[in-house]
Amino acid sequence: MKVVHYLNQFFAGKGAEELAGLPPFRIEGAVGPGKGLEQLGLPIALTIACGDDYFGEHEDLALAELLRWLDEERPDALVCGPSFGSGRYGYACGILAREATNRGIPAVCGMDPESPGVIATEGAAYIVPTSTNVAGMRDALPSIASLAARLAAGEELAGPEEEGYLPRGLRRNERAGAVGAARAIDLLLAKLGGDTRTEVAARFDHVPPPPPLRAAGEATLALVTEAGCVPQGNPDGLPTIRAAAWLRYPIAGEHLLREGEYESVHGGFDVTAANRDPNRFVPLDAARLLEEEGRIGRLHDVFYTTTGNGTPVAVSTKFGQEIAEELRDAGVEAVILSGT
Amino acid sequence: MRLELASYPVGTLDLENAVARLEFRDPRIASVDVAVVEPGESVRLTHVLDAVEPHVKPDDPASTFPGALGTLHPAGSGRTNRIAGAAVIACADFPAEERPLHEQESLIDMAGPGAAYSRLSATTNVVLTFQPADGVGNEDFEAAVRETKLRAARDLASLTIGKEPEAVEELDYTLGGTGREGVPAVALLLQLSSLGPLYEIYLYGTTLDGFQPAPVNPLELLDGALTGGEYHWAGLRNSTYSFQNSALVRELLAGNGERFRFAGLVACRGYNQSAKDKERAAMLAAKVAGELGADGVIVTTDAGGNSHTDTMLTVRACERAGIRTVAMVAEMGGLTDHVPEADAIVSVGNAEELVPEWRPERVLGGDVLLDGRRAAEAGPVPVRNYLGAVCQMGDMDLRAVAA
Repeated sequence: MKVVHYLNQFFAGKGAEELAGLPPFRIEGAVGPGKGLEQLGLPIALTIACGDDYFGEHEDLALAELLRWLDEERPDALVCGPSFGSGRYGYACGILAREATNRGIPAVCGMDPESPGVIATEGAAYIVPTSTNVAGMRDALPSIASLAARLAAGEELAGPEEEGYLPRGLRRNERAGAVGAARAIDLLLAKLGGDTRTEVAARFDHVPPPPPLRAAGEATLALVTEAGCVPQGNPDGLPTIRAAAWLRYPIAGEHLLREGEYESVHGGFDVTAANRDPNRFVPLDAARLLEEEGRIGRLHDVFYTTTGNGTPVAVSTKFGQEIAEELRDAGVEAVILSGT
Repeated sequence: MRLELASYPVGTLDLENAVARLEFRDPRIASVDVAVVEPGESVRLTHVLDAVEPHVKPDDPASTFPGALGTLHPAGSGRTNRIAGAAVIACADFPAEERPLHEQESLIDMAGPGAAYSRLSATTNVVLTFQPADGVGNEDFEAAVRETKLRAARDLASLTIGKEPEAVEELDYTLGGTGREGVPAVALLLQLSSLGPLYEIYLYGTTLDGFQPAPVNPLELLDGALTGGEYHWAGLRNSTYSFQNSALVRELLAGNGERFRFAGLVACRGYNQSAKDKERAAMLAAKVAGELGADGVIVTTDAGGNSHTDTMLTVRACERAGIRTVAMVAEMGGLTDHVPEADAIVSVGNAEELVPEWRPERVLGGDVLLDGRRAAEAGPVPVRNYLGAVCQMGDMDLRAVAA
């Protein structure tokens, strides 16, 4: 069994904040928490490490070097951290664990469930929940060692509740032993008897409404849509479903989107009627009126579009973050997001 | 209503002979390739539009599949002969793609790992592969296929007329149901797709566009009142076969009286077009369930995407009316929509999971998948591409769990 361990500069014994700018380095065998893992029966062949700031500021460079070492070593498993509540360290652990998993190397992290590293793994890695600080080391290591040893041995893990890792947001199919019809009746009779159970709990973000605009008459408004609205002929090839990217198109000086110049390529609804008036995808006509009437300051010069059809939540979230970042940098204060 | 369902196991009939005598005469269809495949054969069926169990009304064959094919008599009463363990499978690729159907490949594998993902992998299948006549558009071609597959199913079943069935089930059901004192009343709110051409379920041969929730006798459903014409995600949609053999209706009929009172089946449109249409349909579904005296309802889904919103709004409307609910949904990586009132959900599986690669010796229906891959070496295929794999009427035993 060959296991590689990732640490930051501090846990790798180099130093604290003053050495956070260290580029990736490697140490044969176990260091720091790795010694604890070894005592629990998980031999560490190699420790790889990086300064937290260096990883954050030069992610591509740091990742390339760390992955090159993983590619050379071809370990049976990678352990990252535990990083506890540390944001930068947790993020680096999450990204490296994700990339390792995508290369076929199973990865186990330990971190606080609120760490940004959790989202960074994108569900690819196993994360043992820890406390926010290093006081939780003793509790975290046995689970990490055990999961890593079993993954390195090629074992399949059971679900997150049984095994004690954070749900990865993945849904694995199993045979339930009874058809859905019978289970539905059982659930309904149980619920009518006061015992409410579910086979799937919702995991939705609840976005609190932002405060009202300070002064709408001075604000820049942008139009964003997931209706798949593109220039006629779809010159940039926006997919009809499962879009992997979003696009932006200029509307400066335009007063409306004309039939025959714009269309929707959305594959999830009948676009025929709205294609006759593409302003129903992107309400440019109404937004210009608001602008003329002074009810908004001005309309942003481009509109943003993608196809919101079969798009995984993680991908949609990424689109939202990327678009929001551009809008914020452009000083946009308000958005009309037309959904379909 | 009283339905006598007479079963003729496929192995007791000379199906090959009946298949050889099938005739196809429709100016909208250029040709039909016919093949019979058995479970366990190394065959993959592609571009599967629908599956139909061969049925015939022996006393009036012309009324089989009323409205969709036959003369208009209410389905669900009298005698129906069925060929048990067989299905007619209609396969076709649409000539001019006006709708983006390319992600919506529909497969049945007769062996290999995919065979666990469709009920139609376990039936003897009469596979009809249709080619359109020159110049015939999608909608006309589809209408021709829809009628022809039902005619073939009826004509094959006609083989049973005058023969002794192996078994006769006598099914009796009157709206409201029966139940001993103190058992809860349970209704089924059955969602049926109506999104537009190529995305329609047919009730007595008509789409549910504009339809508002109304009771349908469950025996009508078992007896061919509902027929398929909905070509969304193969895994999530309901074929004619899955109505004729609905596990949920069977379970509800079986439990009527002892465990609960089966108060009724309410047909509901899925894919109501506007927010107001969705709210109205949800409100009316809850109202009809209330009038049937239902204490609880099972809310099913047909296909996916915005039809899941119809499901969730129906759940909300029922719960607000004091009617307890269980929703049945397929997951597409996760839930597509949710309301807090939906606190009891049956997961019929994650449609996005990949089924391991399988290389069949033979492909019927078309050698190239809609996404351009060769069907015989397509690599792993998502669960959603297998017909009825995550049927949201609960035909299958699949379930998604956290990982």
